[in-house]
Amino acid sequence: MMAVLEHLGLGLAVAFTLQNILFCFIGCLIGTLVGVLPGVGPVATISILLPVTLSLDPTGALIMLAGIYYGAQYGGSTTAILVNIPGEATAVVTAIDGHEMAKKGQAGLALGLAAIGSFIAGTVATVVIAALATPMTRLGLLFGPAEYFSLMIMGLVLAVVLAHGSLVKALAMIVAGVLLSCVGADMETGRERMTFDIYMLSDGIEFTVLAMGIFGFGEIFKNLADPEKRDVMRNRIGRLLPTLRELRENFGAILRGTGLGSVLGVLPGNGAILAPFASYALEKRLSDRPQDFGSGVPQAVSGPESANNAGAQTSFIPLLTLGIPPNAVMALMVGAMMIQGIVPGPQVIQNSPDLFWGLVASMWIGNLMLVVINLPLIGLWVKLLKVPYRLLFPAIVAFCCIGLFSISNDGAQVIMAGIMGLVGFALYKLQFEPAPLALGFVLGRLLEEKLRQALIISDGGMGTFVTSPLSAALLLIALGALAVAVLPSMRKSREEIFTEA
Amino acid sequence: MTQGPETIQVDLPAHEPAQPLPPLSSPWLGRERLAGLSLIGLGLFALYASADLPFASESGVGSGLLPRALALILIALGFVQIAVTWSDKPESTGRWPVRDMLPVLIGVFLFAITIRGYQFGTFEIPALGMAVATPLATFLSGLAAKDMRIGELVVFSVILTVVCIGLFRYALGLSLPVAPWLIGY
Repeated sequence: MMAVLEHLGLGLAVAFTLQNILFCFIGCLIGTLVGVLPGVGPVATISILLPVTLSLDPTGALIMLAGIYYGAQYGGSTTAILVNIPGEATAVVTAIDGHEMAKKGQAGLALGLAAIGSFIAGTVATVVIAALATPMTRLGLLFGPAEYFSLMIMGLVLAVVLAHGSLVKALAMIVAGVLLSCVGADMETGRERMTFDIYMLSDGIEFTVLAMGIFGFGEIFKNLADPEKRDVMRNRIGRLLPTLRELRENFGAILRGTGLGSVLGVLPGNGAILAPFASYALEKRLSDRPQDFGSGVPQAVSGPESANNAGAQTSFIPLLTLGIPPNAVMALMVGAMMIQGIVPGPQVIQNSPDLFWGLVASMWIGNLMLVVINLPLIGLWVKLLKVPYRLLFPAIVAFCCIGLFSISNDGAQVIMAGIMGLVGFALYKLQFEPAPLALGFVLGRLLEEKLRQALIISDGGMGTFVTSPLSAALLLIALGALAVAVLPSMRKSREEIFTEA
Repeated sequence: MTQGPETIQVDLPAHEPAQPLPPLSSPWLGRERLAGLSLIGLGLFALYASADLPFASESGVGSGLLPRALALILIALGFVQIAVTWSDKPESTGRWPVRDMLPVLIGVFLFAITIRGYQFGTFEIPALGMAVATPLATFLSGLAAKDMRIGELVVFSVILTVVCIGLFRYALGLSLPVAPWLIGY
């Protein structure tokens, strides 16, 4: 416990420098902005800004990018409540009861509870990260190639189990993602694979190109195909701050949401995305009047919002301690760290404690800033919602093009992302989720590398994955999760969690 | 914490439900079966693309092992996908607005070939830089919107170009070509 406080103290000292506070603020502001604006999310934004971070110092760069990520979670819930358009995928749950509250003239209360819940969740999650960092890092140091391989397999399986909708489709997306990552020069032999001698494929597909294509251009195509009509309607926001009684009534939901989010976020395989759904289902089960859910229950906003924010933050744990990104945003963080010459993994905490603890502490400061950015300035964000989409998306196209070009000063990347945008649109039309594809792509190269290393060490014996107890345990968990997910009874309750919400 | 204002009166855009799906063009080929067929197609294509790669190498895992194994899994998943959704009522995939997407794609393509120039055989496009590529991409993609207003879009493209050059080249210091034909970089 003392060590945790000591580490947080070090982190606060780093994060409280004028420069880092400024980066944190800029990150939170950009994050809120892209969270509020429909059609542009943190993945596309961080991709665009990645080349820019090259000229910053590593700590400041990571603090800013992290701020964009959790800031977007805040901003996404604002649009979910006010206009029933979830700005971010994780705000889908908030939109249900949050927007009903807004219709009843309680938009302010919903926003206030969401902000307070998120702040409490952010504070707890910061402590959770600080407490788990050292033991997780120790665990990470025990990992050899075989264990890493099994851990990634577990992460990918969990990503399938936790994904929305069809298991088969989620599994197919993961496999397709890993397959896409094979395109380009083979790391071991340098031999070109599946490139058809096209020069823009010879170095493989850049992850930022895939991300901006699918999450940037793809979103635009999707919105052009199925436009969301937004007509002007008069509405009152109402008071923002809850009364003490309302706060007391929601306190349980906030704490339960925080707990759920913190636990699910740590899982390698993007558990954070499930957190708001799980919290909604839990609150509905615990409620005296479950039939009211869906018609504007405050607990159905405060719980999932807390879960969302806690999960977003604890999903940094697998990245920072094991070097395994659990989702697309974290994969971009890997990119940002690599640009700065830092290899993510258990050694980060020892080699650059300033960066590690500074980043952790900045998350708490960022959460505090977000309360201030969001509540008093809500009028400003509402005005932004009125920016017409016909002007918004050409701007997104322009930003993406510039970001893509600046990756390697090469126009070919821009064209490739355009093609990826078409792929993303096809995925949307066929109801494939792009998130597992991105995760499979990210882990694909690492997976093959570790597989090869493990087999070299074991002289080609596949047994190495089950004779190491740690590796065997991880594979067993993966197998168990998959088995449980395909059981008829579990499949039913899994569907219930997603459809109820 | 700062106390927010008691009430704010605002105009909010309201959200309307999506339009109903158009009828199925083919009574057999619904969305789910199409998804399965796409997986099989992708798997077959990957098998073809990786056909020349060796299975084994010094480490035991050759360049071709993973791609081919994954391709086979994809094909299998495609069949599973078709099988598990066989009895479902086929649903349409909705509108494929190719004509709406085309201006965006052309805009992106033109950005890619004009920003630093490109050579098609004997025909050469000079490096035109951000000053030309950005308004081209913005204007063309803006044409895709149904409620597009041409005057507004022109003005917006110009303003956005100035903002982008100021932001990315001067404020953030990226070495992007601005207008090589005019100012040399």
